[in-house]
Amino acid sequence: MTTPENTPETIQPMMATRNLSKRYEDGVLALDSLDLSVNPGQIYAMLGGNGAGKTTTINLFLNFIDPTEGEAIVDGIITHQEPLKAKAKIAYVSENVMLYPNFTALQNLDYFSHLGGKTSYSAEDYQKVLLRVGLQEEAHDKKLRSYSKGMRQKCGIAIAILKDAPAILLDEPTSGLDPKAGMEFINLLQDLRDEGKAILMSTHDIFRAKQVADIVGIMNAGKLVAEKQREELVGEDLEKLYVEYMTGYMDTAVQATDASVTVG
Amino acid sequence: MLKTLIYKELKMIIASPKFTATFGTCAVLILLSIFIGIQEYRGAVRQYETAVQLNDQEMAESTSWGSFDTRVFRQPDPMQIFVSGIHYDVGRMTGISRWEEIKLRRSNYSDDPIFAVFRFIDFTFIVQIALSLLAILFTYDAINGEREQGTLKLTFANPVPKVTYILSKFIGAWLGLVIPLLIPILIGLLLVMLYNLPLTGVHWAKIITMLGFSLLFFTFFIAFGLMVSALTRSSSSSFLILLVAWVTLVLIIPRAGVMLAGQVQSVPTVAEIESKHAKFSQERWDQHSALISERYEKRNAAMEGLSPEDREAYEEEKMWSWMEEDDAEMKNVQADISEYGRKLQEDLRNRRAAQEKLAFLLSRVSPASAYQLAMMNLAATDINLKNRYEDAMRDYRTAFNGFVNKKLEDSGQHGGFRISISSETGVNIDTGDIDTKSLDLSEVPRFEDPRHSYSAAITPAMTDLALLIFFTLIAFAGAFSGFIRYDVR
Repeated sequence: MTTPENTPETIQPMMATRNLSKRYEDGVLALDSLDLSVNPGQIYAMLGGNGAGKTTTINLFLNFIDPTEGEAIVDGIITHQEPLKAKAKIAYVSENVMLYPNFTALQNLDYFSHLGGKTSYSAEDYQKVLLRVGLQEEAHDKKLRSYSKGMRQKCGIAIAILKDAPAILLDEPTSGLDPKAGMEFINLLQDLRDEGKAILMSTHDIFRAKQVADIVGIMNAGKLVAEKQREELVGEDLEKLYVEYMTGYMDTAVQATDASVTVG
Repeated sequence: MLKTLIYKELKMIIASPKFTATFGTCAVLILLSIFIGIQEYRGAVRQYETAVQLNDQEMAESTSWGSFDTRVFRQPDPMQIFVSGIHYDVGRMTGISRWEEIKLRRSNYSDDPIFAVFRFIDFTFIVQIALSLLAILFTYDAINGEREQGTLKLTFANPVPKVTYILSKFIGAWLGLVIPLLIPILIGLLLVMLYNLPLTGVHWAKIITMLGFSLLFFTFFIAFGLMVSALTRSSSSSFLILLVAWVTLVLIIPRAGVMLAGQVQSVPTVAEIESKHAKFSQERWDQHSALISERYEKRNAAMEGLSPEDREAYEEEKMWSWMEEDDAEMKNVQADISEYGRKLQEDLRNRRAAQEKLAFLLSRVSPASAYQLAMMNLAATDINLKNRYEDAMRDYRTAFNGFVNKKLEDSGQHGGFRISISSETGVNIDTGDIDTKSLDLSEVPRFEDPRHSYSAAITPAMTDLALLIFFTLIAFAGAFSGFIRYDVR
């Protein structure tokens, strides 16, 4: 949870959850007592299958939903208590970035930058960021409806960069990116980490997670079942570890079902 | 923040292809309706002037106050360009004489039924039908469309207060649709000025108020569209709901209210009233005939035993007093019939008023009805148009008949005639002292159209104004509360 240079006593986490739980109205427990923290200059990758609670965690940070118990904290701000203050500290990139199709990339960037409170950017600033995320200049003035998913994803990342928030939430950010774009994205993440951003990303991509994450959290059925530091992963087969945790859970679940069948 | 959001809304609306199509259609419709309205009005003025001129000419040719009568016509009003209301359905003229009841006849639609099939599309119709649909078309997916698109989530990943957002949606949609629509409206008004129509200050005040009402009605549909969009998850559901609601509010409730009131509060038909009147009239004349017969018998009895010469002398002496007696009795009968007719009409009018009151009460559940009624009141083409004119015409008839009677008295004419049959002189018709010269018409009272002041127009429209504001506030409150609880994911 900390980089080698820092200790928990000196560094306050930029993003943290304390006993964070979410039970939906239909009774499903989507998140069960989650405790994690991400320091500035750290990348935390949440690994897990569908329904593991990754997106729920992100939604709780963004206060799209209220927690049933516990709290999500951004830079010391409890998100469900002061959502607007908290959101000012967060940049967010969704799995499938959807922007306004009748606006150009520059217009979309301008709009979302204004919403993020950044009103002093010029067209050149937007163009620089778009080039930085790998979007060619000729595409900058094109309407988004002609963009591919990968191009929209790059626009979404550009919006997050422009917001210049200390905390970044990424929901399956490499989904839909080709290998080259995926690589560029990883480099970009590393740059952002070096700038001191705290990054919490959810992903299915074990390879990318191992490549870029300082901490990997494996989630299953709303629980954080394992958490590994980068140094703990050296020489470890993350994929094997992931499958083990998942299988372990599956075995437990199957055993529980069998028991209930026997009893019944 | 609000400015950014509004600016985005404006850009989104104006940049959307559906805006070009719908705005173009509405602009053409508004301009065409005003242009056609102006042409119709000018045609009606020409027709009115010709009819008045012809009537004046006929009056000028009259030589006897006894048979002097006239016709009065409803003067076209330039407000009919914007709100035709019941203007085309109400008769345009009535005869004015001592014998004829006031009854407006010869409406535009009775003269030219073809125009009743495809009625004139006025400004109110366009606002009520086309612009309300336009408002729905641009707001049905204002909230849920952004959710489906994914932009709502990205927007609310930023420190955007929900109140600011819903307000920006409302203001943005309002500005994005109202400002472009004001252009054809202003061009239409310019057209009205170019044609130099006789618009007074009161007319302009009414037009401005009507524009205000139209904007309020349009605002209701924007708020209503937003409300439904904020209460549903998918844009297809909200579109369907809005379409059904639009049909109900604009097409069904106004008509259902009137039909229901017709069932609850019965009003006799014109035929029934006329039949009652005719029956009473028949009975009264029968009584009169019996009385006259009785009187003749008495008169004959008084002459019994007289020699033919004495009888003739007696008759000659009594003839005018008998005639006056008979005439007075006849006038009594006419007055009774007229009074009965008046009572029937009054009863009819009271029943109609009760029915109208109920019908309007029921139909005002819909803002479309409130809007239409307000517009008709402002343009003076409302349901009372006929009554206003008939009242004014009745007043005029009283003044006219009074004037003619006075002229008859002054000229020594009696307005009747006497037929005598003699074996010596044959048949003689005596009409009194008829002057065969043309009559002096300089003092004949002229009919003046009932004045419809601004306060007379706005007073009944205040209820509708309050209702429209109420409906709009409810819709906006619904949109607001719906969106505050809206799951943006």
